[in-house]
Amino acid sequence: MPFAETPLRDEYAAAVERVARLTLDALRDGSPAAALAEQPAATAPRPLLAAVRVLGADLFAPRLLAGAGPDGPTAALLAEARRVLPAPLAPSEEAARVLGWQDWAVGHLLARTPYGGAVPPPAALPGPEEVGWRAWSVRMAQLSGLALPGLDGPVHEGARRHVLGLARGTVRSLLRHDLTTAARLARWLAWTEAEGLPPRLELGPVLDRIRLAGDGSARTGLDLAVAGRLAAGSAGSGAAGGAEGSGGSADGGRAA
Amino acid sequence: MIDTEVLATAQRLGSRALSWLHAAHRDGLGRIPDNTLIDFADADNAYKPLGEVALAASLVLRDGVSGPADTRAARELLDGCWAQLREGDLLYERQLHHFTMTDPLETYGHFARAGYRHPALEELLDSLGRLRAAHAEEIRPNRRLGVANARRVVGLDHRPDWEALARGTWLGARPEPWAVNWMTGYDITHTVFHLTDWGARPEGLPGPMRDYVRDWLPVWLDVWAEVGQWDLVAELLVVDACFGEPTTGRQGWDALAAVQHEDGLLPRDGDPVDGDRERAFLDHQHTAVVAVVAGDVTLARALRATADA
Repeated sequence: MPFAETPLRDEYAAAVERVARLTLDALRDGSPAAALAEQPAATAPRPLLAAVRVLGADLFAPRLLAGAGPDGPTAALLAEARRVLPAPLAPSEEAARVLGWQDWAVGHLLARTPYGGAVPPPAALPGPEEVGWRAWSVRMAQLSGLALPGLDGPVHEGARRHVLGLARGTVRSLLRHDLTTAARLARWLAWTEAEGLPPRLELGPVLDRIRLAGDGSARTGLDLAVAGRLAAGSAGSGAAGGAEGSGGSADGGRAA
Repeated sequence: MIDTEVLATAQRLGSRALSWLHAAHRDGLGRIPDNTLIDFADADNAYKPLGEVALAASLVLRDGVSGPADTRAARELLDGCWAQLREGDLLYERQLHHFTMTDPLETYGHFARAGYRHPALEELLDSLGRLRAAHAEEIRPNRRLGVANARRVVGLDHRPDWEALARGTWLGARPEPWAVNWMTGYDITHTVFHLTDWGARPEGLPGPMRDYVRDWLPVWLDVWAEVGQWDLVAELLVVDACFGEPTTGRQGWDALAAVQHEDGLLPRDGDPVDGDRERAFLDHQHTAVVAVVAGDVTLARALRATADA
């Protein structure tokens, strides 16, 4: 058994990639949800639970983008992962807030299932007016999992009000060959387009570039696929998959 | 809103770069060889740097926002460079023999801006301007703008289609902002320089190009500052002051100020500076020129904005 020799981190990373691949496949196939575990949540192996915790709200992407709500089996697995695994340690106050919002997204979706209850929103993150477009866009990239139909809150409001900041962050990431971050920010850009806001950056060529020059990982693939679906939905009438609070409220994309 | 700290940094940076250039020229470092022939093949290595120094000094005199010491240094640099070009005879002879070349005109424009004139060269340029050949030379589109701007500065009769010229550049195409690279970065800066005549005609930059630069300049500045391409960073700061309210804030200025040497040398990039003074001068003189221009146009724009307010 190679199990004992494999460093734990590699094993967990492989699990994340595997679960992301399953989710991506489900999204592409139009399956209602990825079949993540064959056994009940209570007996799921630890690497799987860790992966589920890392991917969080993204596990529901196939369903949310199809206009459906979170599914029971995935919700059960997520709830179990949150019960078994402690929240990761945040190296800084800012990082703690980012984790808080990622957690909020999961909690918010679980609250629509029998596996969770109402969750209060964590403390707001500083906007680009305070920290500049660069630092803000990096944080938004870390929160790309929130760019999904069915989620809305202060983070989303920030995205609506600062489309240019998201676009600048995307361009910066592309120029720095950080295509993982670029994909995450492109997903936000697609989300703002799905909200009906005027684009500040042509999305198609960006997605193409990342697809062709990126690392080919399932996680980045998932970001690209979500972005593609959101953008495709915005091309027609309104947002894809019944996003809440569509229509936007601000004047869109002020300079950071 | 004018950030006075940015202005203070810009003033200090430009002034120190100017005195570095002045000291080097005073000590003979910028001299072209005395035996330079009129038909030397490579203008870039011969008198191009002289023209660049003349550009920076001419802008200092044009904008009049520098102190008396800097103004005097600028005048002395121009005098010295003009003398090396034998009061323009060198340019005249080169233009006469290589009559479709554009560099004599481009160089002369910087001197003419500061009142150094050569009537025979102007008569020649005026005549050449009527040749189809003079406009048929296949040069890079942003350089074509440089030639058009030189003709305007010299006061030669010409009516270029500025919009068509602008559209022919990289910037005119407003490409995907993430497709820019180091070379096209310079294409962008030079297009803005020539269209706005180094900040004197902010309205010369067409609206769509202006909006495009405003959107993406902060990003380009950020990525080239991160990799220490100080020469390009300084050029981007010039761009930021050539039209409207600057968009990039303090970041670029602070980065440049942090790497400027005590004697005013501003390294062109993150590589070590050669210990040999002459080598260091050759390597970094262009960056000094850009720093002088950046400081000058930034102060000039701020003063214009204050005057208009």
